[in-house]
Amino acid sequence: MSEIEARRLKAEEVGHEKLILNLGPQHPSTHGVLRVITTLEGERITEAEPDIGFLHRNFEKIVEGWTWSQVIPLTDRNDYLANINNEHAYVLAVEKLAGIEVPERAEYIRVIMSELNRIASHLLTFGTFAMDMGAFTPFLYGFRERELLYDIFEKVTGARMMHNYVRLSGVRNDLPDGWDKEVLEFLDRLENDVIPDYYDLLIKNPIFEARSLGVGVLTKEDAIAYGAAGPILRGSGIDWDLRRDMPYSIYDRFDFEVITREEGDHYARFMVRMDEMIESAKIIRQAFEQMPEGPVMGKVPRVLKPEGDIYSAVEGPRGEIGVYLVGDGNFKPYRVKWRAPSFSNLSILPLMAKGQFVADIVLTIGTLDPIFGEVDR
Amino acid sequence: MLGGVLGNVYNATKSLIKGHLVTLKELRTPKITVHYPDERLELPLGSRGMPALKVNQDTGLLNCTACGVCARECPVDAIEVEAVVGEKGRKKRYPAIYNLDMTHCMQCNLCVEACPFDALEMSDAFEISRYDLDDLIFDKEQLAEIWKTHKAVRITGGEKL
Ligand code: SF4
Ligand code: SF4
Repeated sequence: MSEIEARRLKAEEVGHEKLILNLGPQHPSTHGVLRVITTLEGERITEAEPDIGFLHRNFEKIVEGWTWSQVIPLTDRNDYLANINNEHAYVLAVEKLAGIEVPERAEYIRVIMSELNRIASHLLTFGTFAMDMGAFTPFLYGFRERELLYDIFEKVTGARMMHNYVRLSGVRNDLPDGWDKEVLEFLDRLENDVIPDYYDLLIKNPIFEARSLGVGVLTKEDAIAYGAAGPILRGSGIDWDLRRDMPYSIYDRFDFEVITREEGDHYARFMVRMDEMIESAKIIRQAFEQMPEGPVMGKVPRVLKPEGDIYSAVEGPRGEIGVYLVGDGNFKPYRVKWRAPSFSNLSILPLMAKGQFVADIVLTIGTLDPIFGEVDR
Repeated sequence: MLGGVLGNVYNATKSLIKGHLVTLKELRTPKITVHYPDERLELPLGSRGMPALKVNQDTGLLNCTACGVCARECPVDAIEVEAVVGEKGRKKRYPAIYNLDMTHCMQCNLCVEACPFDALEMSDAFEISRYDLDDLIFDKEQLAEIWKTHKAVRITGGEKL
């Protein structure tokens, strides 16, 4: 028996001292207000327990007191990086419940805006994930592109983040002249300059690879069992995307690929997001080509008192944003249940963090990419 | 391929140079940082700041008829309207009180869309920070003043900007 081995056995006999370490809730690595209570043995995590609710605003109860259309601005605040997707999810559900028709052109505008929002959200995830890893420069690059994209948004919706743009039966206003050119220019730059730069800056870096390849692996079975969604699910090799598999709005008219990766590690999830940006760009290009002229607002019944219940979901940047509505024939919703993708994604954290190094849990939170506006609601 | 320590050093140097080349490229690209408040961005038309009351250019009076639709439509109850009460308790079509509580308002544009009399517009006034919360409650004169001094538009549904 070597001396080292003997020492190790002795240490096991004595037992390690457990250390409880609090991460957050005010820690820059936790993307908002997440507190993780970790139990450490040395550098290894034996237990991690996320503590959520610091950003609770009682969304589901508040909206029971509001009329159907007043809810739309508040859905923006759920996942504040995917505002249009959230609005779209809610509006689709109400439209199905009340049987409201949407003009063609409005559907196209919704798709374009949703996909742009997905790109904006993934750009930010690129930046924050790099910063979690300790690389500050890519963070600024990600933010810069996102800000430029927000300039483009502002020209249509009038706001940079809280758009309040999608309306029952359409969208608030038509696209301004020449806006499509700006978007296409941005997409060209994204594909030809920005993403290749990101590869040089971060993704091909050996430190990046060392810290993300094979770390934080989530198996297929676990991904399904925990109800993972979006890039987390597809990063674990499950080919599931609501846009293709349960097409809503007009997504069945576009030709795009669903990006999946088999490995299920940090790298896979990260790369799914990077490649999804390019697929979103594809969809936007097709949408601009197919988009017809016409009105962007249909007719909303003067008295909107839908009855019944409905579940409808869209694919947001973080996965399935599901809305369950119950109407009891009143001006107000009887019940609104919001299925937030970040919430179910975050529930996997204890499983993934077990056995990891402390430094890696920060990255794991980074690839799960939870947004606390929607986790805590 | 080089192995061991030497390989690591080689790889690290290579990626370092690559990364710095990307940064160097930025020397040629135009500067995008805007040093607010010394420099300002031109706000696009329809940029949402705060709602403002439209003044009729001919008469110089407010278009508002104190109907209260905007106050009912506002999700966060930021608007308070009361009509002038004339003789015999009859309400006149003119607001006595029109207060907008900017501590609550989330600049969502719903009130503007709801107004049936073309009396409310969304202005691009966003520099409204004050030291006291009370100063953030704007009365009708202040709202008219904001309308006069800022770009304001009214989008009700479906039109082009
Ligand atoms: S902009 Fe929205 S929150 Fe503000 S007063 Fe109008 S309806 Fe209310
Ligand atoms: S601003 Fe328009 S909606 Fe509001 S009280 Fe005046 S007229 Fe009515």
